[in-house]
Amino acid sequence: MERDVMEVAIEAGHILLENGAEIFRVEETIYRISRHYGVNTGNVFTLSNGIFVTAESAGKEPFAKVLHVPVGSAHLDRVAAVNQLSREIEEGKYTVQEAREALERIRKMPSKRPLVQVAAGALGSGAFAYLYGGALSDSLAAAVAGAVLYIYILMVSRPHLSKMVGSITGAMVATIVSVLVYALGLGKHLDYIVIGSVVALIPGVAFTNAIRDITDENYLAGVVRMLDALLVFFCIAIGVGLVYALVHWLTGGALL
Amino acid sequence: MSLVFQVGAAVLGTVGFSVMFSVPRADYPLCGLAGGAGWLVYCLTLPRLDAPGATLLATVLVVFLSRLFAVRRRCPVTIFLIPGIIPLVPGGGIYWTAYYMVFDRFREAAQTGFDAVKVAVAIVLGIVFVFQVPQSVFRIGMRRCPK
Repeated sequence: MERDVMEVAIEAGHILLENGAEIFRVEETIYRISRHYGVNTGNVFTLSNGIFVTAESAGKEPFAKVLHVPVGSAHLDRVAAVNQLSREIEEGKYTVQEAREALERIRKMPSKRPLVQVAAGALGSGAFAYLYGGALSDSLAAAVAGAVLYIYILMVSRPHLSKMVGSITGAMVATIVSVLVYALGLGKHLDYIVIGSVVALIPGVAFTNAIRDITDENYLAGVVRMLDALLVFFCIAIGVGLVYALVHWLTGGALL
Repeated sequence: MSLVFQVGAAVLGTVGFSVMFSVPRADYPLCGLAGGAGWLVYCLTLPRLDAPGATLLATVLVVFLSRLFAVRRRCPVTIFLIPGIIPLVPGGGIYWTAYYMVFDRFREAAQTGFDAVKVAVAIVLGIVFVFQVPQSVFRIGMRRCPK
């Protein structure tokens, strides 16, 4: 029984951590679920990519589990769903078995269709090129480059590449497309096109969660996430810079 | 007029990011509202303050709204906060820093890099301080729900 309860609580924490929740929320949820089902002796320690849990009741076999949680792409709808589930568990609407099944359903929640994601990438790039000072034509050019970048992210960098290489090559792809589109005559300011085109790479989840975790005094997880965010920012800059240096060298300064 | 377009672009951009981060569909409008409101404050205060100051005020509003929406819709604050904060991230500053680095203009690179860090610190301060506001403040006007 105790083992079943802890397994469910950990699975909830696992889904949360994997999909972009703060450390505080992961630990709180594990405590809440285990307490509701009567396991009051649980201890949880969470890092940015791991959960450590123990529980011990008198006369029963002690429980311990270490979970490695590689951080995937953010699915905030799954975070919201687990949050809702844990509230309903506390209201007494679920048995342990039902909660386990509900978590399984949440884990299988479908991602957005690739076409929708690419459109969102284009929309984000276009909007931000305009925000950073570009003209309407710049924002159109950025949208094209942003769409190509997102296709690259979905098909190449997410399934096959490490985070660093994925970010550097992603920024390179976006910049190359921007330069090409600009050379073909769409858009007036290459700068704003490029800035807009790479926004999908900005590590918004890592950056925001890092600040939250450090504020909650979860320093270890927070610092790792901040390092992750800074590294990705740095990789974007390297990717853009490499293409610029290459274009400068190839055109002898004519284009840049 | 251009302010309207600016805020409109911020709303669209924020919604774009909500889709990329798989926010539940019902929450897109509120995410857009948070991002748009933040950018409106940024645009209005930028002429009187500098970029970090304007970013700080805008962040305060975005975090405040995110927490308000989270309490009202009973879902994690992350859902509104992460997309809403994105327009304020100093993407331009990072770009110009990289740009000047490539062309060996170190003085300008250092200057723009430092400015970008100041903006990032403003975001950090905004988030840190508004999260200290007690949760009960955001429940004002809500009916106490039976436990």
